[in-house]
Amino acid sequence: MQKRSILHMLDPMPNNSPFDINMAMDAGFDVLMPYNNVKLDRVYSLTQDAIFSRGPAGIKRTGLFIGGRDLGLAMDMLEACHQAMVPPFEISVFADPSGAFTTAAALVACVEQTLKIQHGKELKDCRVLVFGGTGPVGIATGIIASLAGADTTLVDHLLLDSAMDMAKSFNRRFGCTLKGECARTEQDKATLIAEVDIIFCAAKAGIQVLSSEVLKAARNLKVVGDVNAVPPLGIEGIKRTDAGAPLLNAINAPGAVAVGALAVGDIKYQLQHEMLNFMLTTDKPVYLDFRDAFNKARDIVTKK
Amino acid sequence: MEKPFILHMLTTAKNLSPFDVNMAMDAGWVSALPYINVEASEVQGLVQDAIFSRSAKNLKRTGIFIGGRDTKQAMDMLKTAKRSMIPPFEVSVFADPSGAFTTAAGMVAAAEHELITKFNTTLAGKTVLALGGTGPVGQAAAVIAAQAGANVMIIGRQLEKAQHVADMCNSEFGDGKITILAGADADKAEYMKTADVVFATGAAGIELLSAELIASAPQLKVAADVNAVPPSGIAGVDAFHNGTPIQGSNSQAVGIGALAIGNIKYHTQNRLLKKMLNTDKPVYLHFEHAFEVARDYMETSR
Repeated sequence: MQKRSILHMLDPMPNNSPFDINMAMDAGFDVLMPYNNVKLDRVYSLTQDAIFSRGPAGIKRTGLFIGGRDLGLAMDMLEACHQAMVPPFEISVFADPSGAFTTAAALVACVEQTLKIQHGKELKDCRVLVFGGTGPVGIATGIIASLAGADTTLVDHLLLDSAMDMAKSFNRRFGCTLKGECARTEQDKATLIAEVDIIFCAAKAGIQVLSSEVLKAARNLKVVGDVNAVPPLGIEGIKRTDAGAPLLNAINAPGAVAVGALAVGDIKYQLQHEMLNFMLTTDKPVYLDFRDAFNKARDIVTKK
Repeated sequence: MEKPFILHMLTTAKNLSPFDVNMAMDAGWVSALPYINVEASEVQGLVQDAIFSRSAKNLKRTGIFIGGRDTKQAMDMLKTAKRSMIPPFEVSVFADPSGAFTTAAGMVAAAEHELITKFNTTLAGKTVLALGGTGPVGQAAAVIAAQAGANVMIIGRQLEKAQHVADMCNSEFGDGKITILAGADADKAEYMKTADVVFATGAAGIELLSAELIASAPQLKVAADVNAVPPSGIAGVDAFHNGTPIQGSNSQAVGIGALAIGNIKYHTQNRLLKKMLNTDKPVYLHFEHAFEVARDYMETSR
């Protein structure tokens, strides 16, 4: 009998995300095991414990998932897993902290596609703002957009230093060129959005970041993407199901269109599903992070 | 292919109860995942994470269970969970902290059954004492009995604490529509003079009602004890009693022991967990639903 597939789900937080649990089950893993409060220095031995107990056939049906809320830590953990492998005792590892990698990959891919179709432009031609830019989804969105060539700025809602520090440290680590900004007031937001081409909204669920009043300031706006599915949505006038629908509230940016949370969520869902499923079907172990997620997300949106 | 049934099991404690895990798997949930040390403030985030990763169709195969030890906390978490749903992204939630809701439901349903079959009456207007009633099972039993029309008193060693618990039950669980009173354990001889039904829900191994007090009760009809560890909470009622006459009772009272209650509790929890699997519209289950199901079980299984 074929061994059951097992996904060991490592999480630095006290609990796993129910989102990832549902996704992993639905991708076909038979057994999910949560490991909580996992510290980086435990990852090496947890990985080796996972690889040495199943033999060559069983090992193909074993995977590691890395969750949490911290993008840097998740990448460190992914690297620690990789180092702990002893081929042929080697298994696939997928990092997707807070689902941020797949959400961000889906968000950027959807917006990129919409930009291409409706405005005939590429990300590298664009100035991009990421609101909620210092949270897990925001940072990953920023890094992906920046690596795709966009002139990208992470926006924090409280502290300029947070945004600048994040930008600097991820630039060093991933070779991107992020900038940092802070938008505490409506006026700050209006000033920031005046000239940009793309706005990503990755702020907390249920918080409206851009009102119609603020949106009036945008003159070059082409595409907005919002990942907030809980009303009020991140951008006034956007609908969750928008997939390139006009953003009429941006009255001084005719042609601006919107990508809503369910449109992004749809791609994110397919993407995370395919990545988890890939871990079960691949013959050679894979190490998956936001870069792999974005490549696959691009495939998914272009095939649509 | 149909998606597997997933039950997300939240608890404020540092572990789930293995009882609940077994129950969930046996009711047909394919996967039961633990979320421990959950704080009230985390419930919304966890719920919304759970609902947005499956289609509306497959959310019917997804559920949330709320355990823990504290009844009010569990009810608050249930309310928060319900508020966090974004239809059609919505799943069923079942709160049963310490198994207290289903245990209490089983006990009250068993007592009611004895009242009906042996005394040709109901809980309405009866005087019910919840001895050692400040804990989760006592609270839930008091509320369920009060909602069924009984005059309920929660008896504790410290009157002040019993009063606090009674007030909390009335406002939090009874919506202000019930009036559970509080009494001191030291005065229970007095209360036994008018008691029709007694629930013993204190800590295991403590006798809450002596043979003398049983003998002195002129209108006692049913005495139920959830304690399965000797000595029993009520003198003369052992774990196997199931409508068995209590020796020494001058009012022909019958006893219900822990195993009889446990059996109804088991079926009640099983049915509620199955209800979550089979319902077309999401349900939010707590002690009231547990009592409905326990009553139904008593009617259909005997």
